[in-house]
Amino acid sequence: MTTAALELKNLQKSFGKTEIIRGVNLAVGNSERHAIIGPNGAGKSTLFNLITGRFPQTAGEVLLHGQNLAGKAPFEINRMGLSRSFQITNIFPKMSVFENVRCSLLWSMGYKYNFWSMVGRSRDLTEGAEQILEQINLTNRRDLPAGTLSYAEQRALEIGITIAGGADVIMLDEPTAGMSHSETDYIVELIRTVTEGKTLIMVEHDMGVVFGLADRISVLVYGELIATGRPEDVRGDPKVQEAYLGAALEAEH
Amino acid sequence: MSNPMKENQITTDPSKPAQRMRAGSLRIAALPWVIAGLALLVMPFVFNDNSAITIMNQMAITIIFALAYNMLLGQGGMLSFGHAVYAGVGGFACMHVMASTDFFEMLPLPVLPIFGGLFGMGLAMIVGSFSTRSAGTVFAMISLGVGELIAACSVIIVAFFGGEEGISGDRTYGLPFFGIEFLHQIEVYYLIAFWLMVSALLMYLFSRTPIGRMANAVRDNPERAEFLGYSSRWVRYYSFIFSGFFAGIAGGLFAINYEIVTEENLNTASSGVILLVTFLGGVGFFFGPIIGAIAFTLLQTVLSLQTDLWAFYAGVLFLATVMFFPGGLAGLLMMHVPAIKMGKASKLVVPYITTLIPALIGILGLSALVEMTFHVRHSSVGDEEMTVFWTTFDSHDILPWAVAIGVTVVAFAVMRMMLPTLRAAWADANATKANTSNGGAA
Repeated sequence: MTTAALELKNLQKSFGKTEIIRGVNLAVGNSERHAIIGPNGAGKSTLFNLITGRFPQTAGEVLLHGQNLAGKAPFEINRMGLSRSFQITNIFPKMSVFENVRCSLLWSMGYKYNFWSMVGRSRDLTEGAEQILEQINLTNRRDLPAGTLSYAEQRALEIGITIAGGADVIMLDEPTAGMSHSETDYIVELIRTVTEGKTLIMVEHDMGVVFGLADRISVLVYGELIATGRPEDVRGDPKVQEAYLGAALEAEH
Repeated sequence: MSNPMKENQITTDPSKPAQRMRAGSLRIAALPWVIAGLALLVMPFVFNDNSAITIMNQMAITIIFALAYNMLLGQGGMLSFGHAVYAGVGGFACMHVMASTDFFEMLPLPVLPIFGGLFGMGLAMIVGSFSTRSAGTVFAMISLGVGELIAACSVIIVAFFGGEEGISGDRTYGLPFFGIEFLHQIEVYYLIAFWLMVSALLMYLFSRTPIGRMANAVRDNPERAEFLGYSSRWVRYYSFIFSGFFAGIAGGLFAINYEIVTEENLNTASSGVILLVTFLGGVGFFFGPIIGAIAFTLLQTVLSLQTDLWAFYAGVLFLATVMFFPGGLAGLLMMHVPAIKMGKASKLVVPYITTLIPALIGILGLSALVEMTFHVRHSSVGDEEMTVFWTTFDSHDILPWAVAIGVTVVAFAVMRMMLPTLRAAWADANATKANTSNGGAA
């Protein structure tokens, strides 16, 4: 069996006496698109923050391509090939759109803490950044401060920043939150194309997005995974329907 | 609607060569540097008396220091209340080199500031190792604490800081540099001007390097920067030690220029002044601190000859900047760029004149009132004669007060009357076709 892109082993997190994540086991394969769903307060964002080293876990392990992430800082995890977006748009608002993307390329292109070469002079950076801008359709916003973009554009930019570094495991936290229908369709298409051939793990509320995009779905309720499987299996699972999905599906119709 | 690709639209077209150049080459950016270099060369011929050269020396040193400070404040988002420490220590280091005559005799004076830079950098490496762990309040408090600590050391470690008198030296003992012994102010001027160009250019280039770009990213959003593979702390640390280096250069030049360095060079008051200078000029643009340093040095030197209250006016100016123009003087200038690019700046000229002249008269009237109040309160008994704006009068008389109040009130009233015209002209000059016909894109 090949190693999973991302594997969680009995992952637990408590804040004081409150258990938020209560022993999650999950293996996400290479190039799989995996969605994590669940009602509000189920711990989805906490799970994301545990995986990406924002919080330390209380117990259990997170393995990225078989390597343990325990005690690693976010920047080290990123260097190992995992990149994430945030639920609240998280970009560099005062820098130009182009600059946002270029900065996200610096480390992966090997510039590190370089203070002797000019970024403006290196063609690979400029071209790389322009390619990403093309992919996320923001070429005509190139020189605007990122903070002045519309909400959907900022989300697109954040996805661009997230994928730019060439990480092969991409984690998106509610990429379509707060968007209109047409904006959602646009972002879903964008996610589909830019994560081609990569492992995608996303938290999402919009069931249309989840069932349209995911290869497999995990349902998180009160810090535990009650089901993991292909979309149609999860949809038919009585436990899931009882806990969460039925209500959400009904609400959609 | 009308043509959406009109060139005055804010969005850019990357297929245009001019816009590609911006990211791809340094050639365009060379022009301001050439102009600045030439200006530095000819300045002593325009203002050729000794006092003017003294002012320009001080200005140039302040520019280097303010640019170094802005590497932290503007570029890196670190608010320091103790940055004079690095300049001061650099100054003391250079003074000690000057004092050890055997060594100094083998050294041409123009290389001396490097010692200041290295000492400033060394201290920044030590302090930065714990202070740059986070930005914000923690960083500011540590900078303040370290500033106080080292200022206190100056009276404790007398061997290095020379106690309250400070230490002094003689710059002319160095190895003659192409026959120049730096006896004259003008020779020192060119030495400082040389270091100003080199430091400013290096600091500008630093901001264009990967680490310089990431300094901006960490300033804007440290957490996101971490998820791009960068440790925010290391990025801040690099900015901090480079800033310390250039602050040290400024301190070294101070030592050369004044031949004395005291506790005043590194105390919290000096740190406060450099924050004020930088903010006044504008932290958002690279050239902001340059304007700030020029404006502040003029206030400090020229205005202080005219009035004892110059610090009061500097304070008011600083307050006004913080409240009304947070972008500083540079931000104020750059506000006009869109209108100039669209060729509509000329629409602003007349409204500016009609508003700013009454405003200026009002401000002068107000300052006359301030001066008169000061005179009434502080002159010795019986000395009732004072001179304001080339007019001599009795400060206890009613008439001068009535005139000053009248002029001030009328001038501000006229300014208020003119303001709507200026506002309308401003809106007109900055209106883009895109705004009016396209409804703004997306």
